[in-house]
Amino acid sequence: MSTVWLASYPKSGNTWLRVLIANLNPPGNLPIDINNLPVNQSLASAREPFDDFLLIDSGLLTHEEIDCLRPGLHEDLARRELDGSDDGVHFAKVHDAYTLSPQGEPLLAGARGAARAIVIVRDPRDIALSLANHRGTAVEGAIAFLNDAKAEFSGECDGLPRQLRQRLLSWSQHVASWLEQRDIPTHLVRYEDLTADTARVFGDALSFAGVPATGDAIERAVRFSAFALLQQQEREAGFCEAPRPFQGGVFFRRGRAGGWRDELGPGQVARIEAEHAMMMGRLGYRPASVRKDALRGAAA
Amino acid sequence: MQRGCPSAPADPGRHSYSVAGLSLSSELELPGLIGTAPVSAPDVVICQRPVLPVIEDAAAVGPTWQIAGDRFWLRIPGIARFLLTGGREIAVEVEGGTSADEVAPFLVGTVFGILLHQRNHIALHASAVEVNGKAVLFCGASGAGKSTISAALTGRGYPLIADDLCGITLAGTPMAHPDGRLLRLWEQTIEGLGLGASRGAPVRRRLQKYYVEPGNWATSGLPIGAVYALREARPPRLPGIERPNAIDAALLLRRNAYRPMLVARTGQRAEYFKAAAVIAGSAAGVFYLTWPLDFAAIPDVLGWLEDHWAEIGLRGRAT
Repeated sequence: MSTVWLASYPKSGNTWLRVLIANLNPPGNLPIDINNLPVNQSLASAREPFDDFLLIDSGLLTHEEIDCLRPGLHEDLARRELDGSDDGVHFAKVHDAYTLSPQGEPLLAGARGAARAIVIVRDPRDIALSLANHRGTAVEGAIAFLNDAKAEFSGECDGLPRQLRQRLLSWSQHVASWLEQRDIPTHLVRYEDLTADTARVFGDALSFAGVPATGDAIERAVRFSAFALLQQQEREAGFCEAPRPFQGGVFFRRGRAGGWRDELGPGQVARIEAEHAMMMGRLGYRPASVRKDALRGAAA
Repeated sequence: MQRGCPSAPADPGRHSYSVAGLSLSSELELPGLIGTAPVSAPDVVICQRPVLPVIEDAAAVGPTWQIAGDRFWLRIPGIARFLLTGGREIAVEVEGGTSADEVAPFLVGTVFGILLHQRNHIALHASAVEVNGKAVLFCGASGAGKSTISAALTGRGYPLIADDLCGITLAGTPMAHPDGRLLRLWEQTIEGLGLGASRGAPVRRRLQKYYVEPGNWATSGLPIGAVYALREARPPRLPGIERPNAIDAALLLRRNAYRPMLVARTGQRAEYFKAAAVIAGSAAGVFYLTWPLDFAAIPDVLGWLEDHWAEIGLRGRAT
């Protein structure tokens, strides 16, 4: 199989896209169990493959030493997929920004780590709300995280996080790192477009990835991945990727675009826009606080 | 061909240890292992020798390892290169300015795990404690709580058998063999379990992971009383102890091999399958222990375990 990254900043629709992909060929013609997503999907920051395929105990290494070895790991994993008997596509979820290892190699091994990347982006104002819910923090904390060039997941040093450390950078830097790298071709998916016209946007992403799918299969996948169904599954059985109980929130929270308009305060909106105006403009996320600035500028 | 280790390990400067049922004579001191009396013919010899950057005629090559015949080459960049020969010798060349004591945790962990695979031993990624003369094993992925649960049990007086690597033999009764080393615990765990007073030296200077001496430890192999596979209690999995279905039980040991990739590569799948069948079919059993990976839950988890041991006939409540 060839490997295709599903690359995104956290809370940008990566899981929804994975569920859509899993629902292309659902066993028994029933919606896929969200707690049992298929094996042709993996996670770039999973710890077990590192320990198993490099034969080194990652729990004895610093985060930087692990980063030095990750290019070799991702190259090895991609080669194993290519050498396998199945000639389909292997999707690998990744939240890491597209960065270089301490030795200056692409952390994810460039073209040797994957053939392509589907890059999923979402309005950072909606991400702030979703992230606050996911991490059980106040919205202010989530905004500080979005704006932090040193933001990372699983970066603790006094214990063993379940996943390898993932450097996210700030939201703008994360998106830019993926869209501006020249090692592998990318296809941009905006969460808002995926919400508005799921079948078309999902179908385009599949074509880019090289996954053949009929219109009927896509239509069924969209139906089986409806947000209300995902919420229902989470309500009835829980979701193994949801925040831990002590952190609070559910995973499938609102699933709509533009929720920030009635949930974020003007100061919060302004703080996000001030930091990310350029990337937001590039992706078509229109700032709400510009007019005020413009008026101030005109008055000056 | 590279020169291996000298066959006579009689130097007085050598250090003797016992790991997973094998006697070990090492030129390098291995902090974290519990020293033993020297034996005249050790099973494994460790020496410091030049190890080439590649090996000749490699039949299989990975990102950090190469295999040729009975030789297994491993490189941990910036730390050391290792050449294992025939499951009997380990040559070590330290890289760069790394000090030998920084190499020791890799040697007694991942390198010794490879050596056990090379010897066709069953090597589980497991911790273990002794309960009434039987070995109770906890296996699972890194971070699933193997060391934490075993450390908490040693706090209740159960002797430690293994911290991370547990060798199994099947001659007659299935036996688990001590990994002969101290506990290695992260700062978070030491604090979470209130073990600050027992904190020893750091495992590596750059890590907040420390050696912790258990109150008591087993020095020889013990018959296996139970094997628990640790899982995180996240929906839809509920906390508690349960018996897996027959298929999962049969695959459980292989999935928890020290390095599953080596089991496949060395053609040992059948051995692990057989071991799982023997253990699951004996008076002992194979179980899932699902817990919330939260230190606050540890007293409850220990309670479930002691109740379960009474239920399955181990009756191992420490006094």
